[in-house]
Amino acid sequence: MRGTKRLICLILAAILSLGLAMGALAQDYERVTITYTGPQVVAGYDYNTGDEYSKFILDKFNFEFQPTNVPWGEWNSMLSTWIMSQDMTDVANFNYGDGTHADASNFVSQGLIKRLPDDWKTRWPGVAKVYETTSLGPMLEELYGGTYFIPRARFFYNLPGQPLANHWSVWVRSDWVEAVGKEVKNHYTIPELLEIAQLIKDQDPGNVGPALVPMSMDNGNAARFFVEANSTYWDTFYKGEDGKYAWGAAAPETLEGLKLWYKAYSTGILDPEYYLLTYEKDMEKFQTLGTAGISYLGGQTADMENYRILFERRTGVDASAFLMATLLGADGHYHQRDLINFWGAVCFSPDVDDAVFERWMDLMEFTSSKEGYPGTQMGLKGVDWDFDANGEIVSLVEPGTLLAGAVGEGKYPSLGHVLGSVILWDDLAFDNPNIAKEYREESRALYANRYEFGAPDTFVSADWNLWLNFTDNLRRARGIDYGVEYSNLVTNASSEEDLVARYNAWIESQMSLVQPVLDELNP
Amino acid sequence: MSASSHDAQMRGFKGYFRNLGRGILKYKEKYLLILPGLTWYAVFAYIPIFGLSLAFKKYIARLGLFGSPWIGFSNFQNVFADPAFLQSIFTTLKINAGRLLFVFPFPIFLALVLNEVRLGRPKKILQSVFTFPHFLSWVIVASIMVNILGQRGLVNSFMGGVFGAKPVSFLGIPSYFLPIVYLTDIWKSAGWSAIIYMAAIAGIDTEQYEAAEIDGTTRLQRMWYITLPGIKSTIVVLLILAMGYLMSGGFDQIFNLSNPATIRVAETLDMYIYRITFRGSVDFSFSAAVALFRSVINLVLLFSADRIMRRVSGSGLLA
Repeated sequence: MRGTKRLICLILAAILSLGLAMGALAQDYERVTITYTGPQVVAGYDYNTGDEYSKFILDKFNFEFQPTNVPWGEWNSMLSTWIMSQDMTDVANFNYGDGTHADASNFVSQGLIKRLPDDWKTRWPGVAKVYETTSLGPMLEELYGGTYFIPRARFFYNLPGQPLANHWSVWVRSDWVEAVGKEVKNHYTIPELLEIAQLIKDQDPGNVGPALVPMSMDNGNAARFFVEANSTYWDTFYKGEDGKYAWGAAAPETLEGLKLWYKAYSTGILDPEYYLLTYEKDMEKFQTLGTAGISYLGGQTADMENYRILFERRTGVDASAFLMATLLGADGHYHQRDLINFWGAVCFSPDVDDAVFERWMDLMEFTSSKEGYPGTQMGLKGVDWDFDANGEIVSLVEPGTLLAGAVGEGKYPSLGHVLGSVILWDDLAFDNPNIAKEYREESRALYANRYEFGAPDTFVSADWNLWLNFTDNLRRARGIDYGVEYSNLVTNASSEEDLVARYNAWIESQMSLVQPVLDELNP
Repeated sequence: MSASSHDAQMRGFKGYFRNLGRGILKYKEKYLLILPGLTWYAVFAYIPIFGLSLAFKKYIARLGLFGSPWIGFSNFQNVFADPAFLQSIFTTLKINAGRLLFVFPFPIFLALVLNEVRLGRPKKILQSVFTFPHFLSWVIVASIMVNILGQRGLVNSFMGGVFGAKPVSFLGIPSYFLPIVYLTDIWKSAGWSAIIYMAAIAGIDTEQYEAAEIDGTTRLQRMWYITLPGIKSTIVVLLILAMGYLMSGGFDQIFNLSNPATIRVAETLDMYIYRITFRGSVDFSFSAAVALFRSVINLVLLFSADRIMRRVSGSGLLA
């Protein structure tokens, strides 16, 4: 009898201990409400009831989500205004960059951003690992004497190289290129593309008629295409061979880029009213209307297939006619300053509730883990994807299924970088079985040829001395809107000589802003 | 000041406030009616004046408006070092002077014409047609302009179809920018602004018209000798107020109608403030310095216009 009682007691104790242990393992969250600001929030979309992926995340971490979308063009201004007025949301995605570093630094010094607890790296080791690869994170930590921003890594497992190349690519109608007798390849110089565009204009291989736009770019993309791709420091200062800083706008390559821009504009191969195009209207002419031959837009691996699916669906043209290529300057080299391995930085309100802060960190820990990271792009584990016996990701959806996409188009509109993502899509896209292997290989090749065609003085590392510099003079000089200024020179010039004269006059007129910066940088 | 004159002054003050108090009590309903308006002015026009002190401070959000350190005229020195600032002043004055010349008279003309429409129904329809554009936002108007004046717009299609003319980028030619600004401003605001003049016209004694008609005057003569003088004081007040806005106003319109091709003739002071505040790094102190400079110039212009009008026409803002 005593033995039986002892056995029962032992069993009960074991059950109780097991129960306690299980309780400790399963995070029992109290429900919280989390407010968030970022540019990729789907405006008007209810993440709480919207789709199965957002419901899975919100249930798992037991929170109500109240996101606020900021338009791309207003990202810096809106968020900075809210932070300055001490009215920011619990969590925000800050557009960290050399142009906004001064603001960020102000926020930190004024206590407008939460300082993360000193032990955060041990509490959330997955996030910390990703953070270390961003370059910027540790750099800022040293500068600020603590962690205030968690930059989100573009790449973690699949970093293509250092300095990091940009994904921005030329979109070309390969069927038209072939029709006008030119070679289809994955890299073109600006003059080569001007020649192709001229042939497209002359021959109209797609029988588009008066609506044909050989080159469709909005103002910002035109500036990138003609000037940035030709002049590495087109909108900033740089250290010359003599060790002294100079102004990139005054570099000969910048003027050369402007001349190419003028040629495209004056000959009518560039959309004659490109400066009136609003956001993504240039993309629309290529991808939706099928009236453009060449554009210069995003070329992320993750989007390569989606772009083509939509292109085929909307224009009725076979997706194979949509070519992405690397843009090279007139000198045949790839021009770019280090993209730096981050895009957007997570920051928290100084007044954020501890439970909310910890919940978001837990969410980021999950999305940076092997288990959670694929979901940010591929949807639900066990439904849309899973691991095979070798631990490789396998897809469970039909080929061509649009997982992420606009409401009504994609299965999970909430997929993306909003729900706690710290490793961006660029990375997993290389291993994502939902993206056809040919596109992933195409993307690898595009990254590879950027390194192949980049010269040490045209594809350069970040100049942290300049990047982290924000004197009043430099801040004012950064207010120059180069894209608008260059475009004004191009559209108002009556000839190439006139363009040069206008350019020289403009350079001269800006010296009252620029010279004080050069004097500071070259003491 | 002697003790007796001081006492007299104090008595004067006391008497003034006593009378004011009695007046308010006597007309308390009327004062109650203007209370919301006064509150609005206090909250949105007078209290924010303290914010102008930012122009002399280095703004630190955590320290707030009053805690931020004073830095003298440093912000103003920086403002005047920017060539775009001086250019924007010139552009603002040019655009707004043109508005006074071309846009300001149009509602007067419209009110005079509408006043001559005798039939009630057509008059109301016309008034509605002219007033409607006021309710459209400048974003919409700018889109309409692209559809009308764009290379594939209505005008170019017509010119190409009828005369075989080559398409013209009306919206991208700097010399066309000001005419487009004035025309769209007239189209959008004339009907609405005419309401004030219509109201003033309604206040003119109709016996004057009857007497003039008996004397055998034409409609044009009645318009010239009765209607116009009858609304002169309204015109003067509105003109003086418009002068007070010579350095500001019209941001929405310019922002939406301008583009990189026309920016050199379109960057007004408001546009400049917007750019330096929100396009570059946020610097509220710098922006406040520009805004204060603009307000001071507007104030000087307002008083100058008032003085000139008093001398020329005998009436001003307050008399």
